[in-house]
Amino acid sequence: MVKIDEKIDEAVKEIFSSDRPWITIVWDDPVNLMSYVTYVLMELFGFTREKAHELMMKVHTEGKAVVSFGSREEMEHDVARLHEYGLWATLQREDQNA
Amino acid sequence: MTQSSEEQQRGFRRHGDNAFIAAFSQSESEVLINLVEQIIELLGERKDNHSDDPLAVMVGITSHDSPPEDDVLLRLLPNAYADQVDASEFRRYTEATLRTKKTAHAMSMRIDLKSATDGCVEVDRDGANAWLGAMNDIRLALGVRLKVEENSHEDLELLAPDDPLRGVYAVYGWLGWLQESLIMALMDQAL
Repeated sequence: MVKIDEKIDEAVKEIFSSDRPWITIVWDDPVNLMSYVTYVLMELFGFTREKAHELMMKVHTEGKAVVSFGSREEMEHDVARLHEYGLWATLQREDQNA
Repeated sequence: MTQSSEEQQRGFRRHGDNAFIAAFSQSESEVLINLVEQIIELLGERKDNHSDDPLAVMVGITSHDSPPEDDVLLRLLPNAYADQVDASEFRRYTEATLRTKKTAHAMSMRIDLKSATDGCVEVDRDGANAWLGAMNDIRLALGVRLKVEENSHEDLELLAPDDPLRGVYAVYGWLGWLQESLIMALMDQAL
């Protein structure tokens, strides 16, 4: 069926593009405090206060920001840690439309 | 995102190199304990059905691969992928761990409040991070109930005095202020 074909297609793509980077995106959320988002990014990724603030402002003004990139496993780890602290995060391939 | 309003209260403040203290009145403490216990209860309601598979228990695989139907739980345990198939698989392998971590944050905050002498809470950096995570989960939960996605702060400020959400909004604002005070205390140290 269509779903299985898509899955196989995806798996094949995976094999031939294993070095293509994945990204972690943080999305804007009306509840999370701006200072909290900055602090969590500093704590989890070791960003400087300036860098974390810059990313937070990007989330705030543009609705989202890429906070990390790397392998799929690494991005899954990052998303899990962001979820632990209540930030709204997803991962995807870098070239995939959000 | 939002900015908390400044009020002339004390909240958390830094005390030495690795201690953060706050003093709560009895009623404040009761409100916080009540809220954090509701988070613990809510997370506990999402039970796993894998008790027949010890290996699954050991590696933290939950039988859940669909997102929670409850809006609050969905916000606390969100999808990691836009794609539903990927989101389900990720959830199956990670949701139990996420619930455990969130519950641990909440339990840590609860114990600190329960064991406080005269409402004075003292936490180290790890304890502070647990408090931040737990307070944020409470705010996320209240935010869903207050529908902050749709309602502006102006709408919420204008709630009728007899509207039960008015009290919820007051607690939500207070928690934001308390959270901010702890972040500021932590950031001072980070500089």
